[in-house]
This record gives sequence, C-alpha cells and structure tokens, in this order.
Amino acid sequence: MNLLRALVLNARIRNATIGIIVLLVLSVVPVFKAPPPHVELAAEALLEHGPKWFTNGLLTTLLVDLIIILMAVFAVSRMKEIPGAWQNIVEMMVEGMWNLTQSIAGHGSANSRKFFPWVITIFIFVLISNYIGLLPGFGSIGIYHSAAESHAQAELGNQLAMVGAEAVAVAAAAEEGKPVLVPLFRSPSADLNMTLALALISVFMTQFFGVQALGMRYFTKYFKNPFKDGMGAVVGFFELIAEISKIISFSFRLFGNIFAGEVVLLVMAFLVTFLLPSIFYGLELFIGFIQALVFMLLTLAFFTMATVSHDDHH
Amino acid sequence: MDALDKLGISWQLLLSQIINFGLLMVILQQLLYKPVLNMLEQRRQRIAEGLEQADKASNAAAEAEAEKQTILEEARREAQEVRAQATRDAERIAQDVRSRTDQEAQEIRMKAQADAEAQTAAVMADARKQIADLAIAATEQILGRELANRDEQERFVADYLAQQNGSGS
Repeated sequence: MNLLRALVLNARIRNATIGIIVLLVLSVVPVFKAPPPHVELAAEALLEHGPKWFTNGLLTTLLVDLIIILMAVFAVSRMKEIPGAWQNIVEMMVEGMWNLTQSIAGHGSANSRKFFPWVITIFIFVLISNYIGLLPGFGSIGIYHSAAESHAQAELGNQLAMVGAEAVAVAAAAEEGKPVLVPLFRSPSADLNMTLALALISVFMTQFFGVQALGMRYFTKYFKNPFKDGMGAVVGFFELIAEISKIISFSFRLFGNIFAGEVVLLVMAFLVTFLLPSIFYGLELFIGFIQALVFMLLTLAFFTMATVSHDDHH
Repeated sequence: MDALDKLGISWQLLLSQIINFGLLMVILQQLLYKPVLNMLEQRRQRIAEGLEQADKASNAAAEAEAEKQTILEEARREAQEVRAQATRDAERIAQDVRSRTDQEAQEIRMKAQADAEAQTAAVMADARKQIADLAIAATEQILGRELANRDEQERFVADYLAQQNGSGS
C-alpha cells in the first residue's frame, strides 16, 4: 500500500515509473525494434574488393592510437608546476600506475623503471580499446557488402549467437541473400590480432627480462638435466607448457571478455530495445577497466617473477 | 590455418599490431611518461624544499625570539645592577657626608672646648693673680704695712689657691 501511495504521490518516482513503462512499451513497437545481432568473430575487411588486411579492427586501432596520443599531448603540451584539470587527471593515472609498478617490482628499483613503459602502455591501450567499443556507432555504422562473400563467417557468427531459437532463426533469415553490414569500427580488444599481439609481447618480454636479469641461467627454469634432477626436469617441462599457454590465456581472456560483452549488449538491445542495455553498459564499463588492469598486473607479475632466480629460493 | 583464418588471425595483422604497440610505447615514453614523472619528481623536490624552508624560517624565528629574550633578560639584569650600584653609591656618599659632618662638628666642638678651657685657664690664672693681689693687699691693709717678703707671699697664696682649686674641682 505504501509503495502504491508513493508511486502516486511522489512526483519524481511517478515520472520515473511512467518513463520506464513508456520505454518498455516502445521496446516492443516494431519501428524501434533493434536488428538481430550481427556477430562476427573475426575483424572484417572494410572494402569489399580492397585489401584483406584493412579491417575495421585495424582502423579502430589507429583511432585508439590517435586518441591516446592526443590525450597525452593535451596533458603535456602546456605542462605546469601547478597542474590544470586534465594534466592533473593524467598525472594521477601515470603516478598511480608508477606506484603500482613500484609496489610489485620494488620501490625505486631498476626493474620498476624497465617494466614501467611496457605495463602502463598495455594498461592505457587496452583500457581505451575496451571503452571505445562502447561508443554509440560501433557495430551500427558500417558498409554493406554482398552476402555471398562473408557467408562462411556469418555461419560461424550464427553458431555463436546463443540467444535462443528465435534470435538464431531471425539472424539466419537475415543472412539469406541479403547484403551484410560490415561495421566501420570494431573494438581492438574484440580483434584477436590485437590481444594475441599483446600476449606475444608480454610473454616474449618476460623471457627477455628473465635472460637479461639471470643470463642463460634463466632457462634452467624450463630445462634441467633429467639424470641429475628427474623431478625438476618434469616440473620444468610443465613450466614450459604453462609459459606457452600464457599466450593463449592472455589473448583469449581479453578477447573473450570484450567480445562477449559486446555480444551481450547487442543481444540485450535485440531483446528489449530500451533500458535493459543501459544496465549492461555499466557492467561493461567495469569489465573494461578490470580486464585492462588484469592484463597489466599479470604482465607485471610475470616480468617480476622472471627476474628472480629460482635456485635462490630452494 | 583454417581455424586461425576463421578467428581472423593473420600474420600481417598480428605484426602490424605488434609494431603498433611498440611505436605507441616509444611515443608515449617520450611524450607522456618521462615528462610526467619528471614533473612529479620536480614537484616533489619543490614541496620538500618548501617544507624545509618553512622549517628553517620557523627555526630562525624561534631563535630570534630566544635571542630577544636573552637580550631583554640581560638588559633587565644590568638595569637592576645599575640601580643597585646607584643606591649603594648614594648610601656611601650619604654615609661619607654624614661622617665628615660629624667629624667636623666634633672638631669644632673640641676646638671650642679647648678654646673655652684655655680661656677659663687664662681667666682662672688671672683671677688667681688678682685674688692673690687682693689677698695681699687686704692682708697689708689689715696689717697696716707692706709685707716684706712680697714674692713669698704671692707664692703662698697661689699655692693655696691651687690647692683649693685642686680639691674643689
């Protein structure tokens, strides 16, 4: 009873309730109905007859580069002892990352200075890549290609669209003969080339820093004389496998989170056009930040671990 | 290879992403990290310097205050001393003056006494002489003739008088 009275009497609650109801009703009106989700696992070539390498993922990567560099230039170009608002924000971020790096790699250590550019660049690049995919227009603005060309990819996309029979049916119907929309932009994090590249860089630099710190002794982590230390040789073999599987876990963790997030947003927009996607946008903002932080922290932790000799511990 | 193709992975794109990351890192290192960290360090030093200076200034102020206090104390003590000295001097002078006055008065009194005594002695001697003369004259009159041995008579009277005087005083 109280709730009902509040609904009627409190103007703000009443207006909000009316707004929610109107939006939900509008969501089922066919005019406002969102198109079935267009799910593409791979980044697509933008030009139908152009080079295959010119994908929407690549274009967006360049856009991300541009945004990051512009943000840096705006913060640093008129750098002052007493910072302006933007300079302050950027300084806060750089200092936060610097302190985080130091807290893991050692305060004021040479390692901290060596690792810092790698991990902060990973963080910034991944964060902006994750967030740029949430901008309106991503996935909705694009170029129409003839259907036949991307049919094979569309098939895979359909397999991935796990939103129930209805959605798949609609999507499948849409694919038949109709031209396919290739989005102009695609979040670089939802492009396996980018996540795999970062994973390769992370794992390769881990080995590099390890060798730099310990010399050839570093590889005794993986290869031990099986006649002297049989158990150690087995463990070393597993270490080697774990190291290689890091490439996969790094790349697919980031790709999976961001790609799945975008699919979830599309599906939610398809099911209920209004309101429901907003909730998931908040979730995606959170996930985007967490994934950037996770990638950065794991890389930093692996770098630091690689520079520590294992023989000293045992 | 087909699986990689379906996932959209191609070595050209992979390489382009790796190069992209490397370039971005180098650019940001020069453009962002170095200047920002330098600025942070500079500001940290500036603040440390400022705090140190503030510390120094407050120390100097405290020192100046302490010095002021000692100087004031010194001055007060000196003033006290000067006053005490002055009081002592004044007392001494007063004492001097008083004692000298006393002495002078004493002297004057002594002199006056001596004068008076001398005068008295002279008067007494004179008086004795006259009395002796008178006594002789009276005796001469009574006897009707002049005493023969005048000198002896006079001595006799003087002896008598002196004896009287000595027992009388």
